[in-house]
Amino acid sequence: MARSYNIFVMVKQVPDQGSKAGINPDGTIDRARAKRMLNPFDRYALQAALHVKKKYGGIVTAISMGPPPAVEILLEALEHGVDRGFLLSDRRLAASDTLATAYALFKVINYVGKFDFIFCGLQTTDGDTAQVGPQLAERLGLPQVTYCEDFSIENEKLHARRIIEGGFQKVVVEPPVLVTVANSYHPLEYKSFAGTYRVQQLQRNPEELGKFIKTIDLDLVGADIERCGLKGSPTIVAATEKVGEIGGSCAIHQGHSPEELVQELMKSSNISDYLVAS
Amino acid sequence: MSEEAAEIDVSQYCPKGDVLVVAEHILGELQPVTLELLGAGRLLSDKMEKSLIAIVMGHELGDMPQKLIEYGADKVYVADHPELKVYRTLPYRRVLCDFLESLAVPPHTCLLGSTTTGRDLAPRIAAHFDTGLTADCTELDIGPYEHKSKVDPTKIGLYPNCLYAIRPSFGESLKARILGPWKNPQMATTRPGVMIPLKADANRKGEIVKLKVKFKDEDYRLIVADTVREVSKGVKLTEADVIISGGYGLGSKEGFNLLYELAKCFPNSAVGASRKVVDLGWIPYQHQVGQTGKTVRPKLYIACGISGAIQHRVGMSKSGLILAINKDADAPIFKFAHHGIVGDVYQVLPELIKQFKAVQSGKEVEAVVSAH
Ligand SMILES: Cc1cc2nc3c(=O)[nH]c(=O)nc-3n(C[C@H](O)[C@H](O)[C@H](O)COP(=O)(O)OP(=O)(O)OC[C@H]3O[C@@H](n4cnc5c(N)ncnc54)[C@H](O)[C@@H]3O)c2cc1C
Ligand SMILES: Nc1ncnc2c1ncn2[C@@H]1O[C@H](COP(=O)(O)O)[C@@H](O)[C@H]1O
Repeated sequence: MARSYNIFVMVKQVPDQGSKAGINPDGTIDRARAKRMLNPFDRYALQAALHVKKKYGGIVTAISMGPPPAVEILLEALEHGVDRGFLLSDRRLAASDTLATAYALFKVINYVGKFDFIFCGLQTTDGDTAQVGPQLAERLGLPQVTYCEDFSIENEKLHARRIIEGGFQKVVVEPPVLVTVANSYHPLEYKSFAGTYRVQQLQRNPEELGKFIKTIDLDLVGADIERCGLKGSPTIVAATEKVGEIGGSCAIHQGHSPEELVQELMKSSNISDYLVAS
Repeated sequence: MSEEAAEIDVSQYCPKGDVLVVAEHILGELQPVTLELLGAGRLLSDKMEKSLIAIVMGHELGDMPQKLIEYGADKVYVADHPELKVYRTLPYRRVLCDFLESLAVPPHTCLLGSTTTGRDLAPRIAAHFDTGLTADCTELDIGPYEHKSKVDPTKIGLYPNCLYAIRPSFGESLKARILGPWKNPQMATTRPGVMIPLKADANRKGEIVKLKVKFKDEDYRLIVADTVREVSKGVKLTEADVIISGGYGLGSKEGFNLLYELAKCFPNSAVGASRKVVDLGWIPYQHQVGQTGKTVRPKLYIACGISGAIQHRVGMSKSGLILAINKDADAPIFKFAHHGIVGDVYQVLPELIKQFKAVQSGKEVEAVVSAH
């Protein structure tokens, strides 16, 4: 018998690093000009949330914190089959580190209500810390399953397989639980035509759309402003330095026969030096 | 920074705590990253003239506490309890939080490895104590910092001893120095294979302190039903000068035969692999390179049919020369390889082997000439 799980999925909009737009010469990102996308790791979290809904029954709520354009990823989530979305958007959140982010998201979750599962991505491509999930679990006093790469629900318990050094672990836990989903979990399924059509219709009718996607602020969720944004962040980025090591320095050989490709490689690199014992 | 500027009393922000390393072990062996952290932690604590302390949690720990001393710790706290036998977030979190709360002065710095365990535990501790945590550091240092920004006046001041947590950011194109001197412990996790361990010294003296541990019912909510690990042995990946690695692009287990053949062209070479093919059972875990495999630094790394996911990259990006062979010109591996061949491994590898062999038998000139 289908049970109605309350499933939350935490999603973040990040700059698209594959696109050159908005990348400053010093390597920093101009967020206003950068192309934006759904954090690639959160696609796995979304898939996990939708899987629970499809297989076991429930309602999926996507939650995000970010500037107003982040509503785009909530629309995208809706197209994929998410039922509703909340965007916490507030100027006072600027310069939040992971601790302040986790605090703000914790307040949003308390505001939104009861849940059985919270799915997070493993990490973001801009923050890249994998910290927000466990920090959120700590605030909520929840058990957590990080690096989850597969799971099922049996007798109301989550049976999950998680990655560890040198192997894997099978764990069993009763919800509520927070899960961070690894990128070795199943990729996000394509959106359905029905989903895309529905969102197109909704976008024509802002009032109707507002029933499904709500933008909220810190006052509404009752957050302590001292714990948000720069003030609530115990860390700051004191300096950045460009490192040349990565990006654009690869000599790429292509478009020839394998024979010629290898010859090019042999000529332009010192690879043959390694062929003899030194 | 001038001496006079140090007038402001910042002792309240930088209490004179020690440097703490949270040890990690698998199947009775301390993890290399723990020894690396002791090496890095020793430098930090010496710079501040403080002690280096370590905590090890587990069950039946054998000579691990002693080993921690040999590798640099002045004092080792031991939490030994059957419930700690296998790592689980909540029991470990309980012990570590209770331990930190029991100290009269919190440690100045608290370090963990960026392993699946360290990255699971560290954020919980940081959130519990509302302190800063920097993930995946590649460098650590202690130094002064003057905070001038007026956005939060309570933070203005000169901080003489701050943890400099340095890490790559924005897809590794930038290095960021992250600080949080306002609260202790200042926390960081570091990437395995980056910091340098000290040489073990059996004559080093240190103190071992047993901790009393106590759990609450809620710590048992999650049950570990099974832990499957393969201990690495046999394959000398970390010592090889040349590593030929294969990924999902090889298409099958048999593809590795080609890699072994290529490896034969090089003295002191070994065959590596991505996690995906290890998971598929094409090759044993001992060959895995990456975040949850080995960190390697050979002179030459040849990646065959590997996309270059971040978790693979962190294990091999320090290699001297990286050659990638991949049929997709947009594969991420081409962003950090030094040389790339866009092509099918099954066409490129036989050709590579052929020409390498030709070089070795002195026919190099002939081969190059005949092409034009
Ligand atoms: C917590 C965690 C830890 C992890 N730890 C590790 C780790 O330690 N090491 C690791 O490697 N991964 C690790 N991973 C997995 C990692 O994210 C990637 O999934 C994995 O590295 C991908 O392996 P791959 O490159 O072989 O496969 P894919 O990503 O599928 O790439 C295959 C590549 O082969 C190319 N290709 C296909 N056919 C051919 C052909 N005929 N000729 C040439 N090229 C071809 C394709 O273009 C593609 O780029 C970890 C993941 C997580 C979540
Ligand atoms: N601003 C945000 N809004 C919603 N979820 C977030 C946000 N930041 C982080 N997360 C979640 O936490 C995960 C880990 O992020 P990070 O710690 O930044 O690497 C992400 O994959 C998201 O699921």
